[in-house]
Amino acid sequence: MNKPRFIKGVAMSRFSADDVSTQELALEVINDALKDASMSPNEIDAVVVSTVDTKTNTERQRLYPAIVASILKRKIPIIRVPAVCGGGGAAFWTALRLQYNNILVLAVDRVVSSNTSKITHEIMSAAENLWEQEEGLIFPAQNAIVAQLHMNKYKTPKQALHRIALKNHENGCLNPKARFYGKKITMEDIEKSPIVASPFNIYDCSISVNGGAAAIISFDKTDIEVLGSGMATDNIAPFEREDMTTWQGTVLAGKIAFKEAGITPEDINVAELHDAFTIVELIAYEDLGFCKKGEGANFILEGHSTLQGKLPVNPSGGLKARGHPISPTGVAQIVEIVNQLRQKCDTRQVKNPEWGLTHNIGGAGGTTTVHIFHKAEI
Amino acid sequence: MVRIIRWVGEKSGKKWIYPVEEDIYTHEKTKKVVSKKAKVVGFTKVNIPSPLHPIIPYNVLILEDVHGHKMPKKVMKDYAMGDTYEDAISDKENAFAIVKLKYDYEEAVDEALELIGGITITPNQKILIKPNLSVPGNAYLGTCTNDKTLDALLIYLLKQGAKPANITIAEQSFFLPFEKAIAKTGILEVVKKHKVKLVNIADTKFEEKKEREFTFKISKIAQDHDIVINVPVIKTDMILGMDGAFENLTRFLHKESYEQLAKDPLKAVMALAILPKLLPPFITLGDASIGMQGNGPAQHGEPGFFNMIFAARNPVVHDRVASEVLCLSKLPYAELAGKVGVGEFELDNIEVLGNELEAVRRDILKPTGSRLFKKS
Repeated sequence: MNKPRFIKGVAMSRFSADDVSTQELALEVINDALKDASMSPNEIDAVVVSTVDTKTNTERQRLYPAIVASILKRKIPIIRVPAVCGGGGAAFWTALRLQYNNILVLAVDRVVSSNTSKITHEIMSAAENLWEQEEGLIFPAQNAIVAQLHMNKYKTPKQALHRIALKNHENGCLNPKARFYGKKITMEDIEKSPIVASPFNIYDCSISVNGGAAAIISFDKTDIEVLGSGMATDNIAPFEREDMTTWQGTVLAGKIAFKEAGITPEDINVAELHDAFTIVELIAYEDLGFCKKGEGANFILEGHSTLQGKLPVNPSGGLKARGHPISPTGVAQIVEIVNQLRQKCDTRQVKNPEWGLTHNIGGAGGTTTVHIFHKAEI
Repeated sequence: MVRIIRWVGEKSGKKWIYPVEEDIYTHEKTKKVVSKKAKVVGFTKVNIPSPLHPIIPYNVLILEDVHGHKMPKKVMKDYAMGDTYEDAISDKENAFAIVKLKYDYEEAVDEALELIGGITITPNQKILIKPNLSVPGNAYLGTCTNDKTLDALLIYLLKQGAKPANITIAEQSFFLPFEKAIAKTGILEVVKKHKVKLVNIADTKFEEKKEREFTFKISKIAQDHDIVINVPVIKTDMILGMDGAFENLTRFLHKESYEQLAKDPLKAVMALAILPKLLPPFITLGDASIGMQGNGPAQHGEPGFFNMIFAARNPVVHDRVASEVLCLSKLPYAELAGKVGVGEFELDNIEVLGNELEAVRRDILKPTGSRLFKKS
């Protein structure tokens, strides 16, 4: 980043299975983000938007920047940054590097518009075509194999994965925007849930939702500063990597972000990590340096990542319980961290956080972004 | 005999899963490293169906070779960590090989033929290749045998010791002049590259042959060769159900015989069933890289990106299993051919190699016909 960037306003829709168009979602979050920032659309200088092309979402709209122009009624530069599940983070990373003053970062996706089989197939398109998709590596299977290898290599108990699921559901239960808001999930529910891809139970997997999220960044000083921004892209296929239990995209993006911010992992007070599957959160504890490699299980089992722990992770409920609408996930993570730093999170509020971190991944460790936020003095 | 493939830059140390011929770091030629034996180093049992993988549960293995190169492999059978994975080879008449393409046609064709025991060639043997090049279609349309498949087959044959001068590719079109039919198929480049012959079957000598109640005028070209390789592209067909090994043989017939049969679909099915009896034994290399689904070539069917190569020593075995892979209805001509002793029709008696049938089945669009297209 050339100059410090600040967050002016954030917003997200309720993440749900409601039948809602991406235009409606975009309109809602643009309007709310502008209100949060006390800005007019006329003050926006550029937009970076992230959406995926889905065949199943029934919309068939590829020129999304022009749709955003139809909503904003502005003829400003609007660029699209798709990176599947990592699209929101990648859009934010891109926006930070543009020289416009006020930039709207927008992400919208309508994922839940067909049956599980078709959605599973659609999401699998983020995997490699002939080597992975043809061999049945739907995303739960990709990550289940990673979990199995981690379990074998580090004696990681399945209980650790279930504790991550339980923690995130406990948090999501408190988040009015979450898909699982007000829905109590017990450890018994998790343990007895069906196996989708061994060793994963269904509660080891995030839930698909429809949703949108937006953030407005600016060079104008506000109460929230973006101090670290890292991105790294790894091979599309985990099987190409020497060690499938560490994701170099996360390691490298984290290092860049921490170096830029001039802090260490110990300084972070609250984090939103990409828990598309429970193992992904556990590996991120290790790869981001919140604990040593192979000690991710202890980190969760000792309660360090709970709301009351030394590093609350996914107070929003994460992808697990808030829901995972593909591109908007990365921006929704930013919305949560900004609201946590502003102490606006009600019953799931983390105590006095000063530093927050977001970690967003596209694919199985492919496009990864890490951002670090700080509560600025005004 | 699974194939784990990497293109390795020997100086740069970089490895690619895609056919990278020149190392982009050193600009030197890469080395292709292929392993046929691997160990299971990870696996998962999947319980969620999806359109490409409709049958559950299935397993995905992570296989690793001696170089530490890995690949995923879908199987129905259960494996344990540390198990060795190796495919069986069979040169029996009832063997059928299914190979999934991993960007490398040469490797896929080689693997498919190796699975059915390979083709032994002596230098002076004359080889005939019969692809489907009957309409002017680029490979992506799935109407014709893919030129990449033919190229890979020629590379295989030359490696086995065949002489280019002894290899002939033969085809004809009943609808268009031959030159027009083959114009977009890429065959001319392949013929030029390997210096093999290209023959219009219509220009060859024909003879009358009788089989049961049928009298055919059939080209003598197959009889004049020692090895015949049938290379159909796998397509749905509104009348036959599927165009495969059998349909591709129809262009050995004289146009008159073909037109006679085309008048009566029922007779055509019966005639098709006995057609292989009029030809010398042949191998079928089924090109299911890009085939067709839906209404096939006749009524605006669409390309089917099946990404597979099949091989069999018997046409009944070939078409029976190929149609099962694509979840098509039983093929009447193949069933009849089974009954008249052309080959094995019962799935239980067919040995499937390379991939398990249940692991590769996919539910493609069926040929149903449409009232929305005007009959031409």
